Amino acid sequence: MSDAKQRAALLKRLREENAETVKRTQALLKEQKKVQQLICQNIREKSKTVPEIAAAVDMPTHEVLWYLTAFKKYDIVVEDGMCGDYILYKRAEEK
Amino acid sequence: MENIQVDALVVGGGIAGMQAALDLADQGCQVALVEKEPSIGGKMIALSKVFPTLDCCSCITTPKMSAVAHHENIQLYTYCEVQSLAQNGTGYISKVLQKPRYVIEDACTGCRQCEYECPITVPNAFDSNLGGIRAIRVPFSTAVPQIAVLDMETCLFCGICEKACPADAIDYSQTAEEFEIEAAAVLLSTGFEITPPDAKKEYGAGELHNVIDGLIMERLLAPTGPYGRILRPGDGKEPESIAYVQCAGSRDETLGVEYCSRVCCMYAIKQAMLISGSLPLADITIYYMDIRAFGKGYEQFFQNAKAMGVEFIKAKVASIKQDENQNPVLRVELMEEGSRVEERTHDMVVLSVGLLPAYNPQAVYGVPVEDDGFVDIPAPNASPCNTNRPGIFVTGTAAGPMDIVDSIVMAGAAAAEAVAYIHEQEPAGSVPVPAYAD
Amino acid sequence: MTENPEQENQTTPQSEEEIRIGVYTCYCGGNISDVVSCERVAKQMRDMPNVVISRTDMAMCSDGGQALIENDIKEKGVNRVVVGACAPSLHEKTFRGTVTRAGLNPYLYYHVGLREQDSWVHHSDHYAATEKAVRLMSTGLAKARLLQDLDSILLNAEKHALVIGGGIAGLRSALDIARRGLRVTLIEKSPFLGGRTAQLESVFPVNTAARDTLHPIIEAVMAHPNIDIFTQAEMISAAGYVGDYQVQIQQQSRGVSDDMAEATMEACKQEVPDEFNYGLTTRKVIYHAYPGCYPASPAVDWENYDGEPLVVKGQPTVLYNELKTFDLTVGAIVVATGFNPYEPRQGEYGYGEIPEVVTLPQLIRHLALFGDGKKLEWNGHPVRDVALVHCVGSREIDGIHEPHEDGQVNDYCSRVCCTANLHMAAELREHYPEVNVFNLYEDIRTYGRGHETYYHESLEKMVRFLRFHGDDRPEVVAAPKGDTHPVLVKVRDHLTWGEELEVPVDLVVLAVGFMPRDVGDLVEKLKISRGTDRFLAEVHPKLRPVETAVPGVILAGTAQGPMNIQETVAAASAAAAKVAALLASGEVELEPFVAKIDLEKCDGTGACVEVCEYEDAIALETFTVDGRQVQRAVVTPANCSGCGNCVSACPNRAVDVQGWTLAQYEAMVDAITLDIPELMEVEA
Repeated sequence: MSDAKQRAALLKRLREENAETVKRTQALLKEQKKVQQLICQNIREKSKTVPEIAAAVDMPTHEVLWYLTAFKKYDIVVEDGMCGDYILYKRAEEK
Repeated sequence: MENIQVDALVVGGGIAGMQAALDLADQGCQVALVEKEPSIGGKMIALSKVFPTLDCCSCITTPKMSAVAHHENIQLYTYCEVQSLAQNGTGYISKVLQKPRYVIEDACTGCRQCEYECPITVPNAFDSNLGGIRAIRVPFSTAVPQIAVLDMETCLFCGICEKACPADAIDYSQTAEEFEIEAAAVLLSTGFEITPPDAKKEYGAGELHNVIDGLIMERLLAPTGPYGRILRPGDGKEPESIAYVQCAGSRDETLGVEYCSRVCCMYAIKQAMLISGSLPLADITIYYMDIRAFGKGYEQFFQNAKAMGVEFIKAKVASIKQDENQNPVLRVELMEEGSRVEERTHDMVVLSVGLLPAYNPQAVYGVPVEDDGFVDIPAPNASPCNTNRPGIFVTGTAAGPMDIVDSIVMAGAAAAEAVAYIHEQEPAGSVPVPAYAD
Repeated sequence: MTENPEQENQTTPQSEEEIRIGVYTCYCGGNISDVVSCERVAKQMRDMPNVVISRTDMAMCSDGGQALIENDIKEKGVNRVVVGACAPSLHEKTFRGTVTRAGLNPYLYYHVGLREQDSWVHHSDHYAATEKAVRLMSTGLAKARLLQDLDSILLNAEKHALVIGGGIAGLRSALDIARRGLRVTLIEKSPFLGGRTAQLESVFPVNTAARDTLHPIIEAVMAHPNIDIFTQAEMISAAGYVGDYQVQIQQQSRGVSDDMAEATMEACKQEVPDEFNYGLTTRKVIYHAYPGCYPASPAVDWENYDGEPLVVKGQPTVLYNELKTFDLTVGAIVVATGFNPYEPRQGEYGYGEIPEVVTLPQLIRHLALFGDGKKLEWNGHPVRDVALVHCVGSREIDGIHEPHEDGQVNDYCSRVCCTANLHMAAELREHYPEVNVFNLYEDIRTYGRGHETYYHESLEKMVRFLRFHGDDRPEVVAAPKGDTHPVLVKVRDHLTWGEELEVPVDLVVLAVGFMPRDVGDLVEKLKISRGTDRFLAEVHPKLRPVETAVPGVILAGTAQGPMNIQETVAAASAAAAKVAALLASGEVELEPFVAKIDLEKCDGTGACVEVCEYEDAIALETFTVDGRQVQRAVVTPANCSGCGNCVSACPNRAVDVQGWTLAQYEAMVDAITLDIPELMEVEA
């Protein structure tokens, strides 16, 4: 068996062995992708604050902030100044 | 099974353990430092600036982390846990479990390519879960060692990180490995935990997003923090009015914690000062029972904070609720106004939570704890680092709440005790300094 | 230790190697970058001559930051390194280690202080601070271009420590150093060991007698073969450096031989106030500190002995104090000189004027001497009500409280008095339940493990707490004649909406704080320093908590600041660890920043020898040059402090301080005065 095939086989076996984890994580991934798309679409054209985004995507403000914080860490969104007491967030330029 | 022989085994790589390891190694001892997390640094590395000097925490911690990693007399075992300990003459032999990182330590360069490519985001424990981090990641920017670790509990086994890694360092088939450490003396520096967020129902049991604990505020103040500034986690608002509730988890019989946690007054005062630095217009109120600024330079620090306009109010906070704008509303008993009760609204509340024991060493080390849950020290005045077992010493917050300065001094003391013990057991032994004889 | 003159000549620059400088500007976790635009500084440096790479990092001193430097040395051929960061005292050594690991000589590194010298002092002007940073970094670059390999000076270290002070800190330090296998000489100024701890009775948090903790340590110290003890002894001079301090010890006579001790003591009639009991009693001038003290033999109090002959066994006997002086070479010195309890001023809270006002240490002695556990009396009168006042001589506020003799107020917390006071309150209520105890405090600071218990106990035992404000302390006055009680304590109590209260009491106890001892002579002799609180100062509370700025001079215990017994013992052990780390290898390393003679230029004027303030640091020696006998200056590096006096005196510019040469200074001065371009977009 080639190296690549061996690796693929290992991953397949691990996925089978950890079916529960994979199932749970897949659900999480689906949710995260959905939220990312929603939020990013919302701030692609115009930068917005957490309450504005939360209202637009119908999510609690603290969850929106959590996602934005993670997105910022991985350069998916950037800050774009402030509006009153709130930071404005914007979709980062896609590479 | 691999067997490592050293003079001293230090368990726990926070500030106390690192300092003890360095003080031992500087005296010529061979040291093994075992840390359960993927990086050393403990709680201190997550802090912002430290009282009373206001040095940035990294400036104190990271060089010590680096010194531990590079010291010729120190062997560092991260992501490892001591499973068992057996008497071995006057010393001890321990079984240690190396947990799998699923990353080949020698191959990983810490480039974080895997982290950027990983599709799964999980709460970032280093930032008190305020933001996210990927399932495979280098734990934090100043981690030592700079090696990625994969969280198998949230893994898709998709193979993306393996493909992304330029060093071929990902190894999904890694398993836990056991090895032995033989040591003439053991130092416990297993540290502390903070009061859990749901401990106090009256304060919202952790459900109120704008009621945070002191450690979260540390992250908000740290330059590497999740938001890069102070925002309230509920909705990202920059707070204009911040309140501290002291003794939230200490000196509280209802929680079974009667002791004073010793650091909360000072960290609250320090944070208040740092907040006034970054949000000069913010009002800061500290509700307290007694201000315990007892260390060297601490009282002066407290007086400076008062002079800077931080408001100190002797009061008991009975409860915290939340209004429709997510603002915490405190029911406050004002002790200096005849115990008048008043409702006060702030943008954000910081609970000055206390220090709890992190680990009970009874089962593995045969070292008992006292009623407060911290390691029992039979003769605190005569031998402040000695446990009930000869050759096993304790240092830092494993021996009760204490601040960084006291932890560092105690680490030196524990190192002195341990070296003397080793030396006295084996006069011609492994400590490379002979008894005085000319 | 004369250097080989052949080596002395090697002052020529190292080959023609290309100077390749790596410049690193540290954010210092915001400490610098909040004020100085580090990116701007780094950019500015990038265009400077010889600069190969200019980087920034959140924390250069972190492992990752250091790795950047290491990589640049290995991969980019960087051979001089400049880091702009905190003060050199903090991390110069860290970065020397970094460059050494990458294969460079440690002295090819130069540290620029951008925090203490720039961002911390210019936080209100970001532009100016950034401009200053550029200038400071430019001088660093200028110096770096002229850096050369240097070798630190390795010297033999005497595996022997001097411990000054025979209280619990000194004893514990001495014991731990000795247990480690090093030799110790312990000197104590008074005739007896044990210090302040011996004067205590039941101590927190263990509730056992202090002497039960103390005496086993004293016995272990006295029995240890590695320890020599000298009581009534003082260090009268010190010279040298870490690893090799020459100290002179002067010891007084004990005054009476053991066989004559009892008879002589009996014959002695002269009495003085007994400091062991804080003046509550008197003692003879030939005395024991307390029954069972160490050493067991009595000693003469020379300061107070009037010199009159004593009639011992029928013989008139005059006691003579024969001072004995001896020299000692030690590698390190532990300063464990302890503290004094604060002595209130005449009239402060009525102290010294109202006989019913005492200090807490006095009450402890009073109870030990006269407390029968049944009835509490003071001056023959039963005590029904006691007021314990916290923070006497502590937490004083400048401008509100009267300054002490040196013009300063004690603005620090003495850390120990709250728990000690509540321990006393609880004990009084326990042993004398008919006595009412009032506790007047500002904040209760029972912070330590097991300390809060005393607060609880006091509350349970109905000790009454009254809270004053620091700027409005209680007042103690004598009660009018005929009153039920002799003293009135007036206090505005903030636990009851600021009510003005008058508490009639029989006894007022002042919980006095810690005062630094007057160790001015020691400070001078050892060239150590005091902090603003007047206690001895450590280098840094977290990085080097028991070290002074003088290498090899270590602090132990309350000489450094208020501590309880447990903390003192821990600090003393930590001091021992530091001594062991310094001396265990038998070698110490000194920085190579010492004078160096260019023998080509030296023509033996001797001007350098004349101005040198250090013993045996520089001398003229005879050399043979071209068959002629000539005088040339020779430096003994171990004795040279690198002060540079000789450099300024030499008419031929033949002397330089290595690592700080005239050429380097000139280059730095040139660099700092150069015009620098307008710094655009400075934004911190």
